[in-house]
Amino acid sequence: MVQEYDHLFKLLIIGDSGVGKSSLLLRFADNTFSGSYITTIGVDFKIRTINIEGEKVKLQIWDTAGQERFRTITSTYYRGTHGVIVVYDVSNGDSFANVKRWLHEIEQNCEVVNRILVGNKNDAPDRKVVLTEDAQRFADQMNIQLFETSAKDNINVEEMFMAVTRQVLRTKQDNKEQEANKRDIVIPGRPKKARGKKCC
Amino acid sequence: MSFNQDHLGIIQAKLSSGETASTCHEASLMQGCVCASRILALVEHEGEWALFIFISSRMPPEVFTDLAIERVIPIDNDFKCEIDAGEQSVDVYVNSRKLKLLFKMIPSIKTNNFVSEIMRSMEDLTKRRDPPPEFQWLHKYSGSSTSSRNKTDCESATTDITEDDASKEKMLDLDSPDIVVSRHSVAQGANPIAARENVIQHQMSLKENDYTYTQILRVFIGTWNVNGLPPTSSLTPWLASDMEPPDIYAVGFQELDLSKEAFLFNDTPREEEWRRSVIAALHPGANYKQVALVRLVGMMLILLVQEKHEKHVRNAAFETVGTGIMGKMGNKGGVAIRMEIHNTSMCFVNSHLAAHVEEFERRNQDYHDICSRLSFSKFSPPKVIDKHDQIYWLGDLNYRITEMEPRIVRDLISHNSLGALLECDQLNRQRSQKNVFSGYREGPITFKPTYKYDPGTDDWDSSEKNRAPAWCDRILWKGDGMDQKEYRSHPILRTSDHKPVSAMFESQVRVIDVVKYRRVHEEVLKKLDKLENEFLPQVTVDNTEIIFDVVRYLEAQSQELIIANTGQVPVQFGFIKKPDDSKFCKEWLNIDPAVSFIMPGEKCDVKLEVCVDKKSASKLNCGEDKLYDILVLHLEGGKDIFITVTGNYERSCFGSSIEALVHISVPVREISIGRLVELEKGEPPGGMEPYPIPKEIWFLVDHLYRHGLKKQNLFLLPGLNSELIAIRNWLDNGSSEPLPGSLHSIAEALLLLLESTAEPIVPFNLHSVCLGAASNYLQCKQIVMQELPEYRKNVFLYLCFFLQELLSHANENGLDAKTLATVFGGIFLRDPPRLSARGRGNLTAMDRKKASFVYHFLVNDLSDYVTSKVLHLGPTT
Repeated sequence: MVQEYDHLFKLLIIGDSGVGKSSLLLRFADNTFSGSYITTIGVDFKIRTINIEGEKVKLQIWDTAGQERFRTITSTYYRGTHGVIVVYDVSNGDSFANVKRWLHEIEQNCEVVNRILVGNKNDAPDRKVVLTEDAQRFADQMNIQLFETSAKDNINVEEMFMAVTRQVLRTKQDNKEQEANKRDIVIPGRPKKARGKKCC
Repeated sequence: MSFNQDHLGIIQAKLSSGETASTCHEASLMQGCVCASRILALVEHEGEWALFIFISSRMPPEVFTDLAIERVIPIDNDFKCEIDAGEQSVDVYVNSRKLKLLFKMIPSIKTNNFVSEIMRSMEDLTKRRDPPPEFQWLHKYSGSSTSSRNKTDCESATTDITEDDASKEKMLDLDSPDIVVSRHSVAQGANPIAARENVIQHQMSLKENDYTYTQILRVFIGTWNVNGLPPTSSLTPWLASDMEPPDIYAVGFQELDLSKEAFLFNDTPREEEWRRSVIAALHPGANYKQVALVRLVGMMLILLVQEKHEKHVRNAAFETVGTGIMGKMGNKGGVAIRMEIHNTSMCFVNSHLAAHVEEFERRNQDYHDICSRLSFSKFSPPKVIDKHDQIYWLGDLNYRITEMEPRIVRDLISHNSLGALLECDQLNRQRSQKNVFSGYREGPITFKPTYKYDPGTDDWDSSEKNRAPAWCDRILWKGDGMDQKEYRSHPILRTSDHKPVSAMFESQVRVIDVVKYRRVHEEVLKKLDKLENEFLPQVTVDNTEIIFDVVRYLEAQSQELIIANTGQVPVQFGFIKKPDDSKFCKEWLNIDPAVSFIMPGEKCDVKLEVCVDKKSASKLNCGEDKLYDILVLHLEGGKDIFITVTGNYERSCFGSSIEALVHISVPVREISIGRLVELEKGEPPGGMEPYPIPKEIWFLVDHLYRHGLKKQNLFLLPGLNSELIAIRNWLDNGSSEPLPGSLHSIAEALLLLLESTAEPIVPFNLHSVCLGAASNYLQCKQIVMQELPEYRKNVFLYLCFFLQELLSHANENGLDAKTLATVFGGIFLRDPPRLSARGRGNLTAMDRKKASFVYHFLVNDLSDYVTSKVLHLGPTT
């Protein structure tokens, strides 16, 4: 039988409570949107399979509770994550200010991980308080890709998930190449050459 | 679970008047890899038959409202039913237009009867003389499947979720014959996507029209019986007589080699000779690549495609079947090559059927044997000839012209009266009687018979046998989009006693539009993903914040948590540990059940009980712990839900340390929590002169001293929980009333007070020293006098004096020193926490040492090292 997928990646969505983490997931996995707000009390996941660069990638996307009191527990779910999606609400300045804390949380709990910054609820210009330029400046500073999305209007959601998946895929391929290179170095003869260079 | 004809009445009740259910049967509908229970019924209305498929809410159904009509399939000319009976199950394939369904039934007489009833209804159709049935009575049922589907969707839909647009809705349309998943069957534990990739392939094949377009390929088919002779002249007149080069060549030979070696060892130099002459004679207008060559004795088939098509050819395979001597040998039979070009599968069969005029039935049989025995085994399941989009069948089929003198035949041919001859052609006759090649077509024959000539000439057989001419060499086809443009013989090739025949087809192949394919594939993936997500375990919890109001020592309180399985699958849930914790909840909390299983639509009540007892009181008292916990409710294979448990703990003397209590002159409840925490931390107390022992201990002991010296079994019988609570309140709040409760309750309260402290009377660091010294009174005495912290030493001696007093009344109360030593040994020398995990055997030995430690102080005179102050001081003196 043909294998179901070439890669299985775990993605994690974090960010303040109420920024729309669950909505982004619901939009991406089920292409639905719910107007009513239900706080996530716990961690939930959904799957989605995509074809990207000719590879079948199965994504297991974890949605976490954003509330402060759960932070210690949710941090335990960072293990084994390939990519983290940090979400803020473009109409909520505090949620953007807290992004730093979330990024710090990632550093504390993950070794090497791909990150992406997402300003959600980008569908009501009059309520937007986090300007794109400011967010972009911050993103550049942190060396992280920025996406402004709307789960409600289905803007940029697909693109954002694709981008983070592409990053994860690339990291995996790079690691493979590096390992291959390492193996190259071990081939007999090379060390001698290196020593020769040292002499010169 | 049995289902039988008695249920016919229930089904009948579901139908309109004039419709009669003649038979019904239980079957499993296979959807991808899901197996869902259905009831099938054969229904008749004025001579028209239809197959009804019912979903039943229970098996067997009890009333007609249990049934929902899922689908109605008219038994018309498009209706096909194939049966594959195995030992485990009878597989019934129902095809009607684009609809393909597979039902599995349990092999039984009932199943046989049901299936034969279907067959009979199909036969009725063929025998029918009236105009074709119109099935107007079924119109009212069309769309019923959609509505029933919507109903189930509504039931399971969560509120407020809106489908985005109509196209998405369409994508999820379960009415199309692709994904129909019974929630019921999944609820019983069936995995909906066990073989996801197979489901995807199946889905893609159903949607082929959405992502393919048609391209026409020219297919050249050639057949020649070469009578065992080597090539003597160029094959160009046969293979390259058309203007345009063919895209595909399938060239078949028979009697390539008539030698014994070829027959016995299947080895012949002719193969390569003929192959080369084919290659040499291909159309010069294009380059060709050989896809495959297959040979069985004298039957050989070469398949070639134009170079530009090569990369679109996949899954090429070949097989052979011998039907010759003993029904097995390769002197007769067939060879075949199959391939997929673009998205269309093609099969080419070259056969050489049984010879001799009268043997047409044997030829029919050979055909059937080839059909049933030839399957391409490299595929799983193996592909048979019939499972191809286009089949080209060529060869020396050996059918002759029946019952006609050779002379007359030749005469008719010379007068070009082929029509009369073709009427007597055995193959035409056998085909019209549906004895052979059913479903195959053949183009009109406009060429002279291709057999039998004197080799090297165009003259009819002049040998002794004087065989009548016949159209032995034929080309037939089966499948859609195949258009025969030429059908001819090539008399100019005179090598053999047969003339070669060829046909040119313009055949439509399905070419994949990569962009569209990707989009459709994505849709299919999404649909499956959605399904997979739907089948993740799903529950709702009625409350994620459990709040206990005031929690008091030893007073258990509980609340219920209702976990409802709102998903499609059974849920196994359990509370799990957080990384740094040793247990999934704090020690003051008890969860029952902590692990369980819920079926879809069902609920589970989980009892959360808070009880602060001697183990947890001290930590809560000193502020080391709070009545606050976050529980992680984990669904096996699914999500986690956090449940917060909070409460207000009312501090008590129970759980307070001896050192803190001696510094409190008022009831515990009267001082602030902050002060209590300070005292527990050992911060320098201010103000009062501390008591030598806690007043609470004095109250309890004093009461027992005054009223209980003669009480039997004191400290041995348990008290009442309600009295213990009353005593707790009396001690914590203070009261002018006398101490409540029975003597036994008061005695137990004393023990509990001593057991609830963070550390026992003998500090944990002295635990092993004391046990080591247990046999030696002097050593024990030394430890008590020199090592015990002051207030605990006081309590220790105070209690020993009291116990000696009790023992002095042994005549009345029946107590003995050994028993009391055992009880108090366990309390004074409570095990350090890390020890409690040890084996039981060790513990009994330890218990004996503890008892003997205390025993010394119950039987020896203590007066020499005790100041009278300790014995008699108390709050009231």
